[in-house]
Amino acid sequence: MAKSRYFYCLFLMNSLINIINYVPRELIDRRFAGALTSILIGTIFGTLFVYIFTVLIAKFPGKGFPEIFHSLLPKKLARTLLLLFAGLWCVAGGVTLLSFVDITLRFISPDSSPYTVVISFLVLVCICCRFDSLSILYGLEIILSVTLPLIIYGLVKALTNPDFNWDSVLQVTTYFWHKPDLMSLSAATFSFSGYLNLAIFNRVFHGLKLKHVWILGVEGLSVLLLTFLVPIGYFGTVAIDRHVYTWFSTADSIRMENFIIERMLFIFYFAYLSLSLVSVIVHWHGGLELLKGAISSVKKQSPKAERWKEWSILGLFSAMVLSLMGLDQYELNMFGAWFLQIRWFGEMFIIALLFYCYRKARRGSL
Amino acid sequence: MSVQQDKHNVSLEWIKDQLNGFADLIDRTLVAPFGQIDLLYIKSVADGQILSRNVITPFYEMENINAYHNYITTYPGTEEETTREKAIELLLSGYILLGLNDTFCFFDAMNREISGVNETSAESISQGPSDALTEDIAINLNMIRRRYQSTNLKMETMVIGDVSKTKVAILYDITRVDPNVLAELREKMNTLKVDILQATGELEKFISSDSLRILPKSIVTERPDRVVFNLSEGKVAILLDTTGYAIVLPSIFNDFFTSMDDKIQLPIVGRFLKLLRIIGVCMTLWLPAIYVTLTAYNPEIIRVQVALLISGSRATVPYPSFVEVLLMLMMMEFLTEASLRLPKAIGPTATTVGGLILGQAATAAGLVGNIMIILVSAVAISNFLIPLNMMSLSIRVLKYIFLFAAAFLGLVGVVVCVVGFAMYLCNQRSFGQPYFRLFFLDNLGKKKGGEH
Repeated sequence: MAKSRYFYCLFLMNSLINIINYVPRELIDRRFAGALTSILIGTIFGTLFVYIFTVLIAKFPGKGFPEIFHSLLPKKLARTLLLLFAGLWCVAGGVTLLSFVDITLRFISPDSSPYTVVISFLVLVCICCRFDSLSILYGLEIILSVTLPLIIYGLVKALTNPDFNWDSVLQVTTYFWHKPDLMSLSAATFSFSGYLNLAIFNRVFHGLKLKHVWILGVEGLSVLLLTFLVPIGYFGTVAIDRHVYTWFSTADSIRMENFIIERMLFIFYFAYLSLSLVSVIVHWHGGLELLKGAISSVKKQSPKAERWKEWSILGLFSAMVLSLMGLDQYELNMFGAWFLQIRWFGEMFIIALLFYCYRKARRGSL
Repeated sequence: MSVQQDKHNVSLEWIKDQLNGFADLIDRTLVAPFGQIDLLYIKSVADGQILSRNVITPFYEMENINAYHNYITTYPGTEEETTREKAIELLLSGYILLGLNDTFCFFDAMNREISGVNETSAESISQGPSDALTEDIAINLNMIRRRYQSTNLKMETMVIGDVSKTKVAILYDITRVDPNVLAELREKMNTLKVDILQATGELEKFISSDSLRILPKSIVTERPDRVVFNLSEGKVAILLDTTGYAIVLPSIFNDFFTSMDDKIQLPIVGRFLKLLRIIGVCMTLWLPAIYVTLTAYNPEIIRVQVALLISGSRATVPYPSFVEVLLMLMMMEFLTEASLRLPKAIGPTATTVGGLILGQAATAAGLVGNIMIILVSAVAISNFLIPLNMMSLSIRVLKYIFLFAAAFLGLVGVVVCVVGFAMYLCNQRSFGQPYFRLFFLDNLGKKKGGEH
């Protein structure tokens, strides 16, 4: 049984990861057209979603989506839904992985082959996402406790830099009164989607009770604002257009004076690579379990058959990532943007579905 | 009664038959005017002094066979009703078979050749108790009971090993121990089938079945105070006769970096020492890998002055840095192993020859860089900061994994390996207990009134 603090870890992980996950790109593209409004509205929506979802899922203590759906929905429908969700989770991990391969090639080792890098990531992720949920949560906590101080150090360093241009930031805030658009809304809410991992990890939470949900809102909002505004402060309101991985370019502009390592980029890269690997492990663990739930049969299978099943699912996931390796940066960006939007609608759908399940369960028990 | 005696009579013949070929088997009959007794024992395992003082002299002094019979049967440690197989076992372990009044009993005259209580050698600390466990289980139990005077300290004994018949004692504090751990341990111990069991390390290997594991899941210690400290924390201790080590389980990753000094020192000093150990482990694990990354893949990570310094020291080195590191690390491992096996008188010579002369000559010849030598010695020294030998050996092996990852993939490989290592640690369980996680955060929650 896990303590509630691991839920905060899941949430924190997702909101920190959004710095690399196409979110700043999409927001900055709309910096003169309602990104700030979307951030505010997204925060409200996001916090609301977190609250509703956690309250609903707490009614099913120790149960993941497969158990809930199989007991409350028609068999065929449950399987189809689980299959769709598994796809969503798999893509969520895959997108992070792909963007990190691109970042690695661009910033760290331009000489190495992209396939070597992606295969080394895949080997790690595939081995680790077969661990049990509790171990993954422990690992997530360890990695967060190592990377969070580094990330905070990076942020403080970024904000205290005398060359940080506050005027650009102020200029962007003057574009506040624009109506929000769907793309930036779905990008902004991604920062809050960490709660969705409860779909599987709820199995180890018994009676999840959250205190101070507003903290999550404040945290999400501040991360979003930092994500959006700090790169603008560094590159200016217009020149920011030219950067794809805005945050890595930002980190590369920061210099540490009193340290063996001089460039912030490497600290940032280390922190974010380890965090994203864990996030991919978390997502794929979710995807794996959901897919296993979708194709599970009633009769108990031997451990060997179970292992074969897991490895073939992971092989499928890896094949998906490898087949998307051919995409160039522009296509990848489009893909990420599509994913962000579909994800947001999926989120709403999941909450509605869970509400339906909750109603049905309550009617059944009455 | 007569049937039983018949069985015993048969058994005497049978026993002699079984022990045929024992040159040190003594078979005597003591005859006195008031009766006679038969003595059968194995000279090499039975204590002659106990025999003459407690068995033979009273026989002649008492002058009454029935009183003598009572004396023998009520003597602590005497066994009476036994089966044939048990009789053989008792004789082999040093009991004396006494035949009087047509009945048999076994008198405990075990001869234990043991060294006395010595000082700790593998886990020495600067202050605090310095006695080590001995090779005799009775003395060990005495040392532990004396330090843990509580009725809650329960003990179970069993015999393991078809040939060696090693006595094993399982100790635990019944109010603090986790019953699941105990049940799992008992199940594993009962299914254990071995011929010879001589060392605690062997037993540790048998009870934790996973053959691919690299990290120890239970502490093997020679310190009675560590055993007692762990018993008080709800752990189970296993003592083995004929070895001076105890097993403590379940043990988590953190336990292996705890020295018994930490309790004695001032709190801040203790924390500092612990921090030193953690830094030491990180250094010994990752320094070689980082060196390879910095020289072969990403020299731009560090300051340009440092990068120039390193590449300057490597100017004469004719091969990639991975080969250089591997070469020197292997040299270092050879030195460590050699100085361990060498007789004590030659040991220091080997380290001097190896460490000083070889290191100096290797840099002078241009085979390795100067910085490399510093790095290798830092790795070697920081490895010895780990208080428990088993863990320090595991860490010694593990650093090569990181080194290979760095050689193949540079920084990416190192980060992937670090994450993998953290996840691997978190996935380990020691008898159902999580092996590695942020335990101190649990306590943090409790202090705030158990909010989580």
